[in-house]
Amino acid sequence: MPLNSFPISRPATLRLAVRSDLGEVRPVASIVRNFMKDQGFDDAEVQAAELAFVEACNNAIKYAGPRGAGECVMVDVLCTEENIELRITDNTDGFDWPETVELPDFEKETGRGIFLINTLMDRVSYLRGRGQNCLVMRKKRRLRSEARHIEFSSLEEASLRLTESEQVIRDMAEELSFCYESLSAIFRCSSELGKSNNLEEFARRLLTDLAQITSADWFLFRLINRDGTALEPFSWSDPMVQPQALSLTGESFTGSVEVEAACTREDVWFDHLNPLPSQDFLRTIDVNSIGLVHPIFLGERLIGTLTVAKSAPGTLFTAVQANVVHTFADFLAIQIVNARFNEEQLRGSLVNRELEIAKAIQRSLLPKSLPPLPGYDLAGFCESARQVGGDFYDVLKIGDDSALLIIADVMGKGVPAAMFAAILRSLLRAVPEWTNQPAALLARVNRLLFEELSGVDMFITAQLVFIDGKERKLTAASAGHCPVLLWNSTEPEVKLISPEGMPLGILPDTTFTNQTETLFADSRLLLYTDGLTEARNQKGEFYGQERLVAWLKNQSNNGQSAEALKEKLAGELRSFQANMSLNDDQTFLIMTE
Amino acid sequence: MKVQSQGETLSVTGVKELGAANSNNFRDMVKHAFGDGQRNIQIDLSQTTFVDSCGLGALISLHKATCGRNGTVRLVNPTPPVQQILELTRMHRIFEIVSH
Repeated sequence: MPLNSFPISRPATLRLAVRSDLGEVRPVASIVRNFMKDQGFDDAEVQAAELAFVEACNNAIKYAGPRGAGECVMVDVLCTEENIELRITDNTDGFDWPETVELPDFEKETGRGIFLINTLMDRVSYLRGRGQNCLVMRKKRRLRSEARHIEFSSLEEASLRLTESEQVIRDMAEELSFCYESLSAIFRCSSELGKSNNLEEFARRLLTDLAQITSADWFLFRLINRDGTALEPFSWSDPMVQPQALSLTGESFTGSVEVEAACTREDVWFDHLNPLPSQDFLRTIDVNSIGLVHPIFLGERLIGTLTVAKSAPGTLFTAVQANVVHTFADFLAIQIVNARFNEEQLRGSLVNRELEIAKAIQRSLLPKSLPPLPGYDLAGFCESARQVGGDFYDVLKIGDDSALLIIADVMGKGVPAAMFAAILRSLLRAVPEWTNQPAALLARVNRLLFEELSGVDMFITAQLVFIDGKERKLTAASAGHCPVLLWNSTEPEVKLISPEGMPLGILPDTTFTNQTETLFADSRLLLYTDGLTEARNQKGEFYGQERLVAWLKNQSNNGQSAEALKEKLAGELRSFQANMSLNDDQTFLIMTE
Repeated sequence: MKVQSQGETLSVTGVKELGAANSNNFRDMVKHAFGDGQRNIQIDLSQTTFVDSCGLGALISLHKATCGRNGTVRLVNPTPPVQQILELTRMHRIFEIVSH
């Protein structure tokens, strides 16, 4: 009669220590086999688990390093009504468990162990620690066994088995709580990421949770910079330290365990036996740290490094804790890469939107049609570069026979440049009684705009030309702008009108000079921005002022309209630039008689 | 374990297990006994309750030895667990397996 018997209402467990000797594996396998049979597993299940178990133990013993050679391989067996779980904790340096295992070629004499384990068991995971790793193999039970009775020969044996069971269950409960805590931390942080989109805050919370779960005292998370040359600090636990970027372009990585992990693509562990290098920054956090650096990769791409450590005295992270660190790091990397991608897309669409706005402003500044000036003909041209500058032209009619021609170039790009162009245009239009005094008008506008322009480090070049049709005279003033080109049929050469003056927004009080010229018969006038002379061809040469002057001079003198000349000049520029894209706006204003 | 010569064939019987602990020994013993005039090796697996990947390695090594002499390895009456590992690793395609 058995002394004690009771139905199994909780998992049955078995814990064994296997001496590091291949001859020990088979006797221990028999114990496991008998234990499984006692638990009601059928022959095929027992056979499969036994073979997987033997392969795993053989590996653990064959690959034990010099340190592990004297240590026992620990075996835990857990039978539930649904599963058998085998855990083999070895003392080897471990290896990367392959994701897929192919059967080796027929003639190979080795390399079938892992294939067999993967094939025979339903779920296999390999948790790597430092000098200690845990292989967890599970297999689903085919049939639910009847409630079974277990028999012990003595009370001592029963009590011993119970103690073993408790230890195994404690270990598993600990791992389960790790899993639970990890998952809930990940969920908690993810839901917050959705709300705030603040990556730094997200990383800090997640890593603080990780430190708590793994009993770590500090962490430092770095991300690779855009060009892949350095690891930049992104999140760290100690607000008192100021980590600097670590260069990845150096010749060696001996000074930093973080760089070492990034370069070797492997975890780097440190403790009192393998202390941090003497010049390693991490020593300033805690010189006696015990921990690991995990390099984070997405596919082949290095994303960053995560260092997690405890303060001495303490023990290295276990294989299970290291696994939790890996899981968190990989999760964080995916979140950050996703968020960055979204950010870039958003920034791209914002830039495009800004360019559209700037273009719309610039278009609205240009006169829809130019006012008629008796005896003269006017045409304007403005082509925006992709980056949209702040070019514009304008013509203000004064009385019956005169007008002010305006051309300006705001030095800057995008919406700010377009805004200043709009302000300048309004200021010039605001005081019609000043329009016949271009130099005074420029001085006034400069005073009004100086503060705003210098505050944003922008300036404007502008050219004002007052045309007096009755007197056949022009009065020009320039704020650092390109010369006005004037051609008269009575003179052989094109005249460059370039009165002195600083660009607007450089000095608060500056004076401008008026220059007066006579308009002889058949005169042609060209106001332009430097986008014309700085246009480049495929050889990289500038169009230049000489070409522009020659072009104006060579136009035939048979009363071409300004519109026709405008089309010709635009065509001339297009053919010079061929397929080159515009770097700057190109704007000009032509007047013919 | 017993090793006997039968003309061109070396016959091995009484193998209990072929695992990490004894497979190298087994391989070396059989190779040693594989005489110059012999081409084939026949292994009786009816008593063999267990073979692991190291045991398979030993069988493959013997297979290569017979190939060099245009011979074969014949496995006789493997037990169910042994038959299973041979099939899982597709070794049944290179060994001649005979069941009586």
